[in-house]
Amino acid sequence: MKSIKHISKITAVIIMGCIISGIAILNGCKASQLVQAKSGAQLWAENCQRCHNTPSPSSFSHEQWETIGMHMQSRALLTDDERDKIVTFLKQAN
Amino acid sequence: MKKKLSVLRFLLYLPVLFLGRNQLAAQQSGVDSATLSRINALEQEVADQKPGESHFMVAGLATMGFVSNSTNTITGGIGQKVKTNSMADADHYEFSPMFLWRHGKNLLLEFEPSFDGYGLGVNWADVSYFAAPGLIVRAGYFVLPFGTYNKRLAAGWIDKVAGDPVGLADLPPSSDFGVEIEGGLPMGNMKFNYDVSVTNGMQMQSDGELQGIGIVDNNKNKTITARVGWLPFQNSCLEIGLSGMFGKVGDAGTEWENVKTDMYAADLNFVKTLNPFLVNIKGQYNYIHVGDAQFVNPDDMSAYTFKNTTKTGFAQISLRPTGSNDNFVKNLEFAFRYGNFTTPGASLWAAKTNSWDFGLDYWLSWRTVLKFTYENMKTDNTVPASLNTVKSNSMFLQFSTEF
Repeated sequence: MKSIKHISKITAVIIMGCIISGIAILNGCKASQLVQAKSGAQLWAENCQRCHNTPSPSSFSHEQWETIGMHMQSRALLTDDERDKIVTFLKQAN
Repeated sequence: MKKKLSVLRFLLYLPVLFLGRNQLAAQQSGVDSATLSRINALEQEVADQKPGESHFMVAGLATMGFVSNSTNTITGGIGQKVKTNSMADADHYEFSPMFLWRHGKNLLLEFEPSFDGYGLGVNWADVSYFAAPGLIVRAGYFVLPFGTYNKRLAAGWIDKVAGDPVGLADLPPSSDFGVEIEGGLPMGNMKFNYDVSVTNGMQMQSDGELQGIGIVDNNKNKTITARVGWLPFQNSCLEIGLSGMFGKVGDAGTEWENVKTDMYAADLNFVKTLNPFLVNIKGQYNYIHVGDAQFVNPDDMSAYTFKNTTKTGFAQISLRPTGSNDNFVKNLEFAFRYGNFTTPGASLWAAKTNSWDFGLDYWLSWRTVLKFTYENMKTDNTVPASLNTVKSNSMFLQFSTEF
């Protein structure tokens, strides 16, 4: 009974993974045109404040924003497009 | 006469010469400045791409403050009060510089030592390789992908109230050694993210309690931790996450070597401007289960067993009047957090704790905050040998900044 219970948990995790992968594959892991059209400023406003206040572009240098962008991508699990656009915006506005 | 004519001619040509020279200089300077700015931009681009130690930087955070606490322990109807004032309470002081070393656009090394009331420790020390769009590979000592509090919200300049939610930040321990893959992927108007790690895993003591700090790799088994996050709206205002952690926790060569743990967490994050407020709702619930076994009572070395399930969670709402025209009001933020921590009912550390935190913050800048928090906490210790209720009231004045 215990092993069945254990298998069912693992199965549940696998099924969940398959469903998410399936949805991702069906969508081709592509952003919609609406999302693709978003500017770096809009993505900066939407994503940074999910955890903290939106940072001032003048807080770091161009080079540092590249590094911070990588660090934050791994923390907030941003998409690559989001990271690139946000970092470009921060560098331009700096 | 000829000499006079030459001088006159020279004087006539002089303005023409100056005019021509100025025009030429202006033309040259125009070309030069455009070229120079282009060269500068190209040099900057090259510098951004260039691998090597030139991309080293230090960021980090500092949190410090004051806490005044009054604790009343009620045993058999008789209360005993203790009052304390502390400048560096172990949970509310932290100085953590973060060293970041970037090689080009694919490699990032992160190291964050941390000094707090417990001493000097390390929050993370890892290497990340940005392998492909939506795929980051990490190895080293890193924050486990179990819920979001430890990985995203625990920093003093991010947290809206002074302390961590009761029980949640340390159970399971936040960091471990291993490898991890993670990434964020677009999905039409939605996004999802994944984070999977294989690490040494937790360590169980002989009385059935999971070790909080000083964990050693106590068996050959490795622990799998995974989180999946889903952002259903195109503006990323809502994120829902589910996590699981599975692995053996018993010491190799003992009767507990096959004891497993299965842990689950659900987290929610909602941030949206509903004029005039920026509304911020966050929450996480952890369910921690350790498999059935005969544990050892350290008091008399007798065997005992119990349902080894721990539950902990928090729900938090904060409101910031960002729509106000008054700069002072705009920088205020009101926060409320409820926390619960329930340990196994028949264990030797059985207790149920509820906490209520009320916070008033003032943002000095986007990354610097002055926090005032009032915390009311009640713990019912249900171990028969030490039945009591502990009521605690704390007032925190805390300054936190990111640098």
